[in-house]
Amino acid sequence: MSESDLRFFNRELSWLEFNQRVLEEAQNISLPLLERLKFLAITASNLDEFFMVRVGGLQTLYARGSKTKDATGMTPNQQLAAISDRAHELTRELYDCYLEQLEPALPEASIRRLRMNDLSAQQTQYVRQVFNDEIVALVAPLAVESPDSFPTLTGNTISMCVRLERPAKDEDGLETRYVVLPFGRIPIRFVTLPSEGTYSFVLLEELVEKFIAEFFPRETVLECVAFRATRNADMAIREDLAGDLLKEMKQLLVARRESDFARLEVSASASVELTNFLSDCLGLAQRDVYRIPGPLDLSHFFQVADAGSGEGNRYEDWPPLASPLVDPTESIFETIARQDVLLYHPYDSFDPVVRFVEEAAADPDVLAIKQTLYRTSRNSPILAALVRAAENGKHVTAIVELKARFDEARNIEGARALEQAGVQVFYGVKGLKTHAKLCIVVRREPQGIQRYLHFGTGNYNESTARLYSDASLLTCNEDLGADAISFFNSVTGYSLPQTMHSLSAAPITLRDRLAEMIEAEIQYKNQRQKSGITLKVNSLVDPQMIELLYRASQAGVKVRLNIRGICCLRPGVPGLSENIEVVSVVDRMLEHARIMHFRHGGDDRVFISSADWMGRSLDRRVELLVPVEDDRSRDRLLAIMECYFKDNLKGRRLQPDGTYIIPSKRRSSGLKMPAQEWLYRETCRVAELAAQSRQAIFEPHRAPEQ
Amino acid sequence: MSTRQTQPEIISSGTDAPSSPPRLVAVIDIGTSAIRMAIGEITADGSTRTIDKLSQAVAIGKETFTGKKISRSTIEDCVRILCSYRVVLDSYGISSDEQLRCIATSAVREATNRLVFLDRIYIATRIQVDVLDQSEVARITFLGVQSTLKADSHLASARSLVVEVGGGNTEFLVVEHGQVTFSQTCSLGSLRLRKMMESLKTPVRKEREFLENQIDRFVSQTLQQIHPDDGLTTELIALGGDFRFAAKELAPDRVEDSLAIISITTLQKFVDKILPMSVDELVYDYRLTFPDAETLVPALLTIIDVAQRLNVDQIRVSDVNLRDGLLKELASNDIWSGDFRDHVISSAIDLGTRYGLDKAHAQHVATLAEKLFDALLPHHHLDARARVMLTLASLLHEVGMLIGISGYHKHSMYVIQNSELFGLSRLDLQIVALVARYHRRSAPRPTHSGYSGLSRQDRVVVSKLASILRVADALDRSYSQRIRDFTCDIQKDRLIITVPGVDDLSLEQIALKETAQLFEETYGLSVLIRGSRA
Repeated sequence: MSESDLRFFNRELSWLEFNQRVLEEAQNISLPLLERLKFLAITASNLDEFFMVRVGGLQTLYARGSKTKDATGMTPNQQLAAISDRAHELTRELYDCYLEQLEPALPEASIRRLRMNDLSAQQTQYVRQVFNDEIVALVAPLAVESPDSFPTLTGNTISMCVRLERPAKDEDGLETRYVVLPFGRIPIRFVTLPSEGTYSFVLLEELVEKFIAEFFPRETVLECVAFRATRNADMAIREDLAGDLLKEMKQLLVARRESDFARLEVSASASVELTNFLSDCLGLAQRDVYRIPGPLDLSHFFQVADAGSGEGNRYEDWPPLASPLVDPTESIFETIARQDVLLYHPYDSFDPVVRFVEEAAADPDVLAIKQTLYRTSRNSPILAALVRAAENGKHVTAIVELKARFDEARNIEGARALEQAGVQVFYGVKGLKTHAKLCIVVRREPQGIQRYLHFGTGNYNESTARLYSDASLLTCNEDLGADAISFFNSVTGYSLPQTMHSLSAAPITLRDRLAEMIEAEIQYKNQRQKSGITLKVNSLVDPQMIELLYRASQAGVKVRLNIRGICCLRPGVPGLSENIEVVSVVDRMLEHARIMHFRHGGDDRVFISSADWMGRSLDRRVELLVPVEDDRSRDRLLAIMECYFKDNLKGRRLQPDGTYIIPSKRRSSGLKMPAQEWLYRETCRVAELAAQSRQAIFEPHRAPEQ
Repeated sequence: MSTRQTQPEIISSGTDAPSSPPRLVAVIDIGTSAIRMAIGEITADGSTRTIDKLSQAVAIGKETFTGKKISRSTIEDCVRILCSYRVVLDSYGISSDEQLRCIATSAVREATNRLVFLDRIYIATRIQVDVLDQSEVARITFLGVQSTLKADSHLASARSLVVEVGGGNTEFLVVEHGQVTFSQTCSLGSLRLRKMMESLKTPVRKEREFLENQIDRFVSQTLQQIHPDDGLTTELIALGGDFRFAAKELAPDRVEDSLAIISITTLQKFVDKILPMSVDELVYDYRLTFPDAETLVPALLTIIDVAQRLNVDQIRVSDVNLRDGLLKELASNDIWSGDFRDHVISSAIDLGTRYGLDKAHAQHVATLAEKLFDALLPHHHLDARARVMLTLASLLHEVGMLIGISGYHKHSMYVIQNSELFGLSRLDLQIVALVARYHRRSAPRPTHSGYSGLSRQDRVVVSKLASILRVADALDRSYSQRIRDFTCDIQKDRLIITVPGVDDLSLEQIALKETAQLFEETYGLSVLIRGSRA
């Protein structure tokens, strides 16, 4: 291994390791069956996104002849080769899991996948009717004479490729030709069969294969196989060139259907000849071809998992709990005026955040609402509240990020509705994605203008807030209010950026602030004062920040990292990082919060943030770093951070060689349950305590028992 | 500008009235390189709280200081910025004219197409821009910095020189025991210097020499005029964005809202470091805006020069800015009766002293004039501002004697017209000068230059005040301040001044005969003076 190879992990391979951990949940026999199927679907869908976004970009670099090395010293070509090896292995495991473990067990959840040959006469007649009435009209066979005439495919959709044989026109003998049938946007993937008590289905591609000969009455079908191509979606949006961003984004949506391909998946039954034909037409190398031994596109099995039933096949329900800090009978603004409210979703319900915007929309004393929107849900109650607020004469400003990956179409639609209602809509800052989560309510009160704030680590999306672990801080702190307003003024272009006292914002001051905080820990350590760094982020990629953490480790500062996804930092290497510990928790909730704790000589500094520690977050996005100074909120965050490091069931430890292992259960210091379960039980306990003592004094969350 | 028609305010002493919610106001300052807005609240007790601050860059100074004219595109930039500020104002529900004060400083004032600019802004945005005279800027600056000076026990009793280096001008305020004793503005500004340097195409290696020469010429002149060379130490207080930036860089650990202290050596080293850097490098390395990067070096060199001339080894940097002062001004119900009045008067006394006035007589006449003013309130309906004008004119009515006895009232007028009295606009100064002029001899005539240019309202003010000053001056014709107390009664068409405890008033009676004609013409009252035995 070269020196640079020792210092960092390659980010793509680290990402694949993360997806391996998701797959391990699908393989975990102690999990409920349908949840395992969901993890399988997530693994598959993650992999699709990875090929679209990351591999596509690398292929473009490789195609342009780039030999630029990444932080681990690998050229694009070397990276692509390594990715291909690892992704093939992952795909193999994925299908092993599906074919050997999950599909055979599906009947336990009253789900049956049937093959065409297994159908009863009645079922066969039924599928024949479905084929005639609903499928034939939607499937158009397109002849492919040469790679140039290959039809335009929608990325990640399934198509059939048919190899046909017919008598040659001019001379004796036979000629073969290829026909492609793109399924495109056919809404059916699983054709539900009439059956009793169970959900039975056949796959669309198998149904089409069964009747394929009917499309080609005078030809012989040599083979008919399903395939799926993944498109490269890594389109740099050239903001500097286009005047009208909205228009440009619409063009990008079109452009995304026409860019190069990153991966070909083809049914393992396909002949070498057909496989080569497809990879030639799509311009893909051998290493980009994945031969699939089962159904293509396992991400669709989400739907199947939803259709299943049966005792014990799903997780115990964990309904979000109402925070005892929020009294449903009083105005949310009164609550916030009395105390800061820290929520940790999904254990704490997201309702107070929705209420915050809804009450603001109706409150006659509210003058203005200013909010960033990145990804919202369909029929978002927050968008609806903003529209109502504007209609009620409030001054509503929204920064809508159109570039949120793959959500552009919905965001454009949402932005339109807001504009029509009279909301001032801004489409972010040129050249930067606005990723910060911030809502400001300006309210006129008897003692003067008061600002109520919500800072979050996750999106304003109440449906994902049931699944993503995120922190929310509701406060009316004066300093934060002043900073939040000046942050908003600068993002909307009403003002040049002004000095902020409490908040730090990327791309201007956030990186420097974090660097200062780490440097300070090194100083404290040198002066034999309390030091230590605990971070919770989704990804740690940025080489500068990693080097700083290495320096901290070398100075003797204890560094604990809770990183769900990519981690390019190599922990536990003597002389480099022996004081660094990395834990990754992959469990039923998606770990998404970004929390930072610096011991700072005993004067603990805690922050929440929208930013991951990646170059794109620190330098090319508008992000916020928010200090949490209120004692109770800070203590709760510290307790939350602590439990992840005590998780010996789901908390996988990153090893110096890049693998992740679950620590031995004999370790006595750990929790007796996974961190997420502990968090839920603890949230329940506190809620019950609060319910019992209907007093105004609330119990703080306690740190996990030692 | 016109005379305020409001009645003098009766200050209510009731404190148990329920406190009303704070008043939301906004101030906009159109400066040399930026248009800045602050939104603030004024509570019932007059304290202010800034709740929103905005700033956008414009190139007004760049154009005015070189081409003398604001270009069309810059005017439209200003319109666009002010329209965007309107949106922010709307979001706070600030819509009435009383809630908004918009001012412009030297860059607009010196533009030859000033009126075009102001009209265009008004048409496009309905915002009325007041172009401030430099001494008004000084007054507002002082309002802003005053509380800082008061809060610091050391500064409250020391002598301070407050220096604000702006883009177009530099203000100097000498403050002793919380009172402004001198104020002076010179047209030495950081952006002006930069533009001058560019238009003269000063070679890069000569830049420092050029700047230091220019700066020193202005600074030495100004300090000679305003700074008494009495060996007392002076604290140097610097205001302005350039110093705020320097403080952030050089004194990062200072406590919020306190004055940052920077030693001159540190500042020197910093200038040595940044002087060779190009504007682009400054922008990149220090995350400054371009306009801020352009003015940094000239401003820092100016304060260093002042410090060296005064022999002080450190400066204190205050965070306050023009908007803070404007908010304070909006907060003070009537600036003409509070602290500010004291500052103007003390600066008038200082002016008088420099001209060797009979201080006792001047102050006594002022006291008498104020007394008469108050007694005649129902007859003249003038406000507190007019009362201050009267006081100033009374204090300075003989200031021209140093130049020559013959026609000294006219000399007094010239002297006042050409002096700076702290915080007074040119118009205010003109009124004071005319009142002083008309304290003897000819009554105001339309042919008199200066007088004819006034609005009718202001002409009336001059007549009313000059009449009172004549009577007051007559009452101390003895120059002995023997008439201290008197009562006024109005009977039919006569003003009867009764002086207790004085027998022989013949001197004053003769004096009145000479001068009271204007009073009769103005108020329709003849003046009678008589003694009384208690």
